[in-house]
Amino acid sequence: MTPAARNVPALLQGLREGEFTGTVRVSGSPGGMIHLRDGLVGAIETPGAPSATSVLLTPGRIDDAAWLAACAAEPDADRLGAYLVSAGLIGAAELEVVCTAAVFDAAFAMTLSPVGGWETGEREPTLLTTPGVEPRHLTEETTRRMTSLTGSGRTPGELARLRPRLTKNEGSVGAVAGVPGAGAPLAPRGDAWLPRRYRDLLGGVNGRRTPRDLAFALGRGLYPVLLDLIRLEALGLVLWEAGAATGDRPSTAPRVTPGSPAATGPAPAAGPLPRRRPGGASPAPDRGEKGAT
Amino acid sequence: MGENVTALQSSLDRLLDSPGVTGVALVDAVTGLVYGAAGDVVEAGDGTESSEFATLIAERLGAAGAEGELESVVLTSRRRHQVLFSVVRPAGDPLLLTAGLDRDRSNVALALRGIGDRLAEVLA
Repeated sequence: MTPAARNVPALLQGLREGEFTGTVRVSGSPGGMIHLRDGLVGAIETPGAPSATSVLLTPGRIDDAAWLAACAAEPDADRLGAYLVSAGLIGAAELEVVCTAAVFDAAFAMTLSPVGGWETGEREPTLLTTPGVEPRHLTEETTRRMTSLTGSGRTPGELARLRPRLTKNEGSVGAVAGVPGAGAPLAPRGDAWLPRRYRDLLGGVNGRRTPRDLAFALGRGLYPVLLDLIRLEALGLVLWEAGAATGDRPSTAPRVTPGSPAATGPAPAAGPLPRRRPGGASPAPDRGEKGAT
Repeated sequence: MGENVTALQSSLDRLLDSPGVTGVALVDAVTGLVYGAAGDVVEAGDGTESSEFATLIAERLGAAGAEGELESVVLTSRRRHQVLFSVVRPAGDPLLLTAGLDRDRSNVALALRGIGDRLAEVLA
């Protein structure tokens, strides 16, 4: 049964009125699954943003062994949250915060690209926020998030596909003059004063990872990562890699955990690109300079 | 977000017992999303504005030489105080507890200590 609706928010509102329990599969890029309980949104799973499970496991809030033991003890994922709390692995209020944040973040990620279609289905067990998020609240917050990013001069979808890199002056904050929103230049004194989440984010920025890659690597939401990258750009620490967007092609950058050598180590040494020769058989590179030979 | 009283809502409701507290809210310090509120939500303050304000202050204090993370911000007007507390989490993005205080019924020093002592309970 798939009720007629002009878009996903209207669909969810209609399902709320019918107190629907089940799953809405949304096709598109990235698409995803919206889990409803009595019409409230309990969880959203999408390849575009880390799930609540990722947010709990990636930074080690719950270790893998304890998670696997909990999943074995409580096979119904709908009741897994209650089990995690009863086992003392996380507080009920903190779990509510994590799961709620993941719902809003996934909704934001799914809004970055056009939706192909949708169909409703049976309930599929998953880790839920309880009692769930009102669809109207979800729509309003997602709209606010999209609007908040439009001031950067790029659409939120474009921002999410760029690959930010560190500025050459990273470490001397405010050294890049004329950065919108930077205000008065700040004293160059390294990045030791930066909040930890900024430093962690800077450790993952390398010009190859998209904000989505960074979100998965750090176990953070896509929207907060985008916001922090914009703030770091305003501080002169990060540049959005113009022209590096790759359309809808999925990122193939490796996922690494914060603190691992791959996350914190220097980028591989890059030597000069081979010179092109007229009549050579090599395919034209994506970003070759015309007239270089 | 629903009719059932959640653990978070219960935690926030208990903070209203503190003298002079008229409204409290738990806010995502990065996104401004309000996870829960109790009492007069207007007195607790707008989540987005609170998060942006706290971020700005933290950045400027850090740039001016302050060490460590921001702990709290107190705004005072003729009739009320508004207080922003950083809520420490074991992992994840920081949170803010925003509270509105009636100046006639509260002592800001006592309120800071009282609410500060109970911050850990908010996420229990």
